[in-house]
Amino acid sequence: MPIPVDWYLYLSAILFVIGAAGMLVRRNLFIILFSLELLLNAVNVNLVGFARFHEDMVGQNFVIFVMAIAAAEAAVGLAIATVLYRNRQTLMVDLFDTMKG
Amino acid sequence: MTAKVLFVIFAFLAVVGALGTVTRRNIVHGLLLLVFTFLNIAVIFFLTEAYFLAVVQVLVYAGAIMVLFVFVITLLDLRSFEKEPQTHRRQRWVAVVLSALVLAEFVAVLAGLTFTSARAGFTPEAISAAGGNSRVFGEVLFNHLLLPFEVASVVLLVAMVGAIVLVKREKTAGGMTRHWELGEELPSGVLEEEV
Repeated sequence: MPIPVDWYLYLSAILFVIGAAGMLVRRNLFIILFSLELLLNAVNVNLVGFARFHEDMVGQNFVIFVMAIAAAEAAVGLAIATVLYRNRQTLMVDLFDTMKG
Repeated sequence: MTAKVLFVIFAFLAVVGALGTVTRRNIVHGLLLLVFTFLNIAVIFFLTEAYFLAVVQVLVYAGAIMVLFVFVITLLDLRSFEKEPQTHRRQRWVAVVLSALVLAEFVAVLAGLTFTSARAGFTPEAISAAGGNSRVFGEVLFNHLLLPFEVASVVLLVAMVGAIVLVKREKTAGGMTRHWELGEELPSGVLEEEV
């Protein structure tokens, strides 16, 4: 008896909402990046659940691409965090309110 | 039945870890709870018989990407941020209420939906008869999704080059690496001297 697909959707929705709330509420840039990873993982849960439900393999293949995008996003996001910290000595995102361009 | 019980247990643990991640004041604690969440999601992949993805989740996500975060956190002095307010002053309650509303919407929509399986033929029995999850996974990936696979490699290359370019310290005209002390203002005209 397989696990119902609804359960994956509920789990994914809860994780997604927690991640979205974390992105909106927290000031620390690192916590915002963690929340972004949570959002991407919620999508992965959804894809795997539907791949099992539809008895298809492409859903599982898509998770690999989401992981590749997550790795790219983590690398660039951490590089930006490093540069921001080096130049402004803070990582609180509401303090980055002036542009110099 | 066992799978359902295990799913509920590990889904609960994943949600607890996710809640801890977004509420911790200490960034390293948040990161460890995030790794905990990823490990629980790996178990859920395992219960879904996506064995290859479960291993990749542990190795790549909980291993590589999170270690990258740990390295950057150790390079920066982040303890001083724990004394500051951790949430946006005006928008936090709005954000929490909106998130709860979105979750209620998700639940309301999902409660009224029934899905019909497309039955594309990759049943667990068919997969194990064809040589296992990893083999079928690779065959589908390299037969049907080869172009997206190559594009993903280009995306990773661009991200790598971009990360290196972003964090590289510019050389001054004399060829010496320029060091910035904490709190130091950039000397004026230094940008024009770069080679």
